[in-house]
Amino acid sequence: MTMTDIRVFDAGFRVQVATLGQGRPLLYLHGYDGFPGEAPYIARLAKSHQVIVPEHPGFGSSTGIDHIDGILDIALYYRTLIEQMGFDRVDVMGHSLGGMFAAELAAICPSVVDRLVLVAPFGLWLDEAPIPDLFYLGPMQLQRATWHNPEGAAAQQALSQLGGGDKQSAGEAIITRAGNLSAAGKFLWPIPDRGLARRLPLIKAPTLVVTGESDRLISAPYGEAFASKIPGARLVTIAEAGHVPMAEQLDAFFEHVGAFLDRS
Amino acid sequence: MRFHWFAEATYPHLPPDFAERYHSAWVDVPQALFEPEKGGEVLNGFLNMYEYASEVGLDGLLVNEHHQTAGAMTPSPNLMAAALARTTKDAAIAVIGNSIALYNPPIRVAEEYAHLDCVSGGRLIAGFVVGTPMDSSFSYGIPPAEIRDRFAEAHQLIRRAWEEPGPFVFNGKWTKLRYVNPWPQPIQKPHPPVWVPGGGSIETWSFVTENDYCYGHLSFSGLRSARPVVDGYWEYVDSVGGNMNPNRMAFTQIICVSETDAQAEAEYKEAVEFFYRNTNKASRGFTNAPGYTSKASMRWQQEIAEKRGQDRNAAMQGEMGWKDYVDKGFVIAGSPATVRDRLREVVTELRVGQLIACLHMGNLSEEQARKNTYLFAKEVMPGLKDIWSDWDDLWTPQGRREAAAREQAVSAAGH
Repeated sequence: MTMTDIRVFDAGFRVQVATLGQGRPLLYLHGYDGFPGEAPYIARLAKSHQVIVPEHPGFGSSTGIDHIDGILDIALYYRTLIEQMGFDRVDVMGHSLGGMFAAELAAICPSVVDRLVLVAPFGLWLDEAPIPDLFYLGPMQLQRATWHNPEGAAAQQALSQLGGGDKQSAGEAIITRAGNLSAAGKFLWPIPDRGLARRLPLIKAPTLVVTGESDRLISAPYGEAFASKIPGARLVTIAEAGHVPMAEQLDAFFEHVGAFLDRS
Repeated sequence: MRFHWFAEATYPHLPPDFAERYHSAWVDVPQALFEPEKGGEVLNGFLNMYEYASEVGLDGLLVNEHHQTAGAMTPSPNLMAAALARTTKDAAIAVIGNSIALYNPPIRVAEEYAHLDCVSGGRLIAGFVVGTPMDSSFSYGIPPAEIRDRFAEAHQLIRRAWEEPGPFVFNGKWTKLRYVNPWPQPIQKPHPPVWVPGGGSIETWSFVTENDYCYGHLSFSGLRSARPVVDGYWEYVDSVGGNMNPNRMAFTQIICVSETDAQAEAEYKEAVEFFYRNTNKASRGFTNAPGYTSKASMRWQQEIAEKRGQDRNAAMQGEMGWKDYVDKGFVIAGSPATVRDRLREVVTELRVGQLIACLHMGNLSEEQARKNTYLFAKEVMPGLKDIWSDWDDLWTPQGRREAAAREQAVSAAGH
C-alpha cells in the first residue's frame, strides 16, 4: 500500500492506493465505510486481476476532498487517476458510495470503463423505499442496518475496526469515522441523489448489479431500478447477505461476479 | 460591561412525559404537539418580555435563529428584530445571528440587516452564525462538509455588499450574481458591529479574530465547563496578536434572581429543570453531524473533554436537579447580592464584556421573567457596570451607545 500523488483540478491530491495481483486491470471503488485494505474479497479479486484500490479523497489519510465540488468532479478525478496510472480502460467494481462513483464514471467517461460491477450502489432515491439516514444513525445502529448477520464474523471484524484499542486510538477512530462520513456526505447528504437516474442510460459498459437480499440500506427496489435503467444490465441478488455481500457471502458473490469478469 | 436580554423562545405547553416519550426536542419533534393559537400567545409573550427589558435599561435584546424545535421557535430572528425595532427606542437589537450558509443568495441577509439598521436608527448588531448541526445540516439539508465554505463565501459577499459601491459582479462558488447592488444600506458605517457565536470550533476563533468581531460562547453550561473553551479562545487571540478587548467576548448565562436564595429555588426550579430536561435536549445523532466539526477541532475538544467535566453531559441531558445546576454553576441563582458576586467571578475570569443574561428559561411565566428582569436591571447590573469600563466598546451599535450616553446625562442631571 502506498501514498500516491494525483494531480488534477490544479491541485495535488495525496491518496492511498493499494495495487495487488496480476491480470486484467480492475479499479475497485470502496463504500462509505472506508478503505477495505486487503480484505478477503480484495485478495480474491487479485487472484485473477491486477486490482487497484484507491482510497477516496477525504477518507482516512487521503487528501483532496476540498477540491471535489460535486459528482462531476469525482468522475473526472477517477478518469484522471486511471490515466495517470497508465491505463486506457479498466474494469470497475464499485461498492455502496463507490458504486455511485463507478456508475457516474461509466456514464460520464464511458471510454475508460470496460466492464462494470455495481455492488449495493447508492445514487438513486425512491420515495417508496427510503434509505435510512446514515448520518443520523450511530455506529451500532448502522451496523445493524448493514449486515445480514450482525453477530457473524464479517460484521464482527468491521465492528472491531470501529472501536480502537486504548483511549487515544478510540478517539482517533471516532475522528476517522467522522472524516469518512463527512467526505461521503458531499455526495449522500441529505439525500443520496445527484441526478444519476438521468445518466444511467448513457452507460455503455456491460454491467452487473449485485445486491444483498437483507441489505436494509440499499433494498431490493434499488437493485431493480439500477438494472432497469442501465442498458443490458443484469441483476444478481445474494441470499443471506446485507450491504457488503462480498464479505458475508464470499463464494456466492464470486460465483456470479467471477464469471462476469472472466467474460465466460 | 454590557448586559443583553435573551431567551430561547421555548414552547412551554409540552406533555408532562415529554422527555420520556420523545428522544429529541429538535429536528423531528412531532408538530402535532404545537397548537398555533397557544404558539401565538407564547411568541407575543416573548416580544413583551424583550420590550420590558428595554424599558428597564438592558443594553441589548438578543434574538437567534433555530429551526424545527420546541426549544426556540425563531426560524427567522429578523422577524422578532423587526417588531422590536419598531416598539423599542434605546436598546441594541442583537440578531445572533443569521445562518448565512443557508441562504441563497446571501445578499438577502445584507438587505434585511440593512433594513433593520435603518428602521432601528442604527441599533443593529449583525450576527453571523454557522448554525447547529440540527439547524443547518439536518433541518436545512446542507452537507456538513460544505457549511464552512458556504459561510465564508456568504460572509465575503455580505461585507462587500455593505462596503463596496454597487453594482459589482460576484462570481462565487456557491453564489453567482451579475449585479450586486442591494437597497437599503445600513446606517452604521462601514458596517454594523458583527458578533459570531461559536461552540468551540477553533476555525471560528481565527475567523472572528481576523475580522475583529465579537465572539459569543453560547453554552448554557456555566463557568466551569466553559472555561477550557474560553481560555483556549483568549490564548489563541493572544498568540496571534489579536485584539484582547473583553468587549469582544459575549457569554450566555442562565440567571435567576429573587429576594433570597431560598426563594429563587421556589420560583425557578421547575423552569430550569424544564429547560434542560425537555427543550434544550437534542438526540445525539442530531448533535453529532459527521464533518460539522473539523478533525482539528475534534482533536482539541477530545483534549479538553476531561477539563470540561463529565457533569456537562449529564446536565445537557437534563439528568441533574436544581441543586446541582446551581452548585455546579450551570445556573446562577439567588438574591441580588449572590447573583452579583457570582457573575462578577464569571465575567472577570472569562474576560467577558458582553453578558448575555438568560432571564427567561423553559416554561417560566411571563410575570416571573419580568420580576427576574426587573431585579437584574435594578439590583444586579448597577453593581457590575464598572467592569472593563476602561476598554472601548466597538461591538455595541452606535444607536445604543448614543442612547446610553443620553441616559447617563439624564441620570447625572438628576443627582
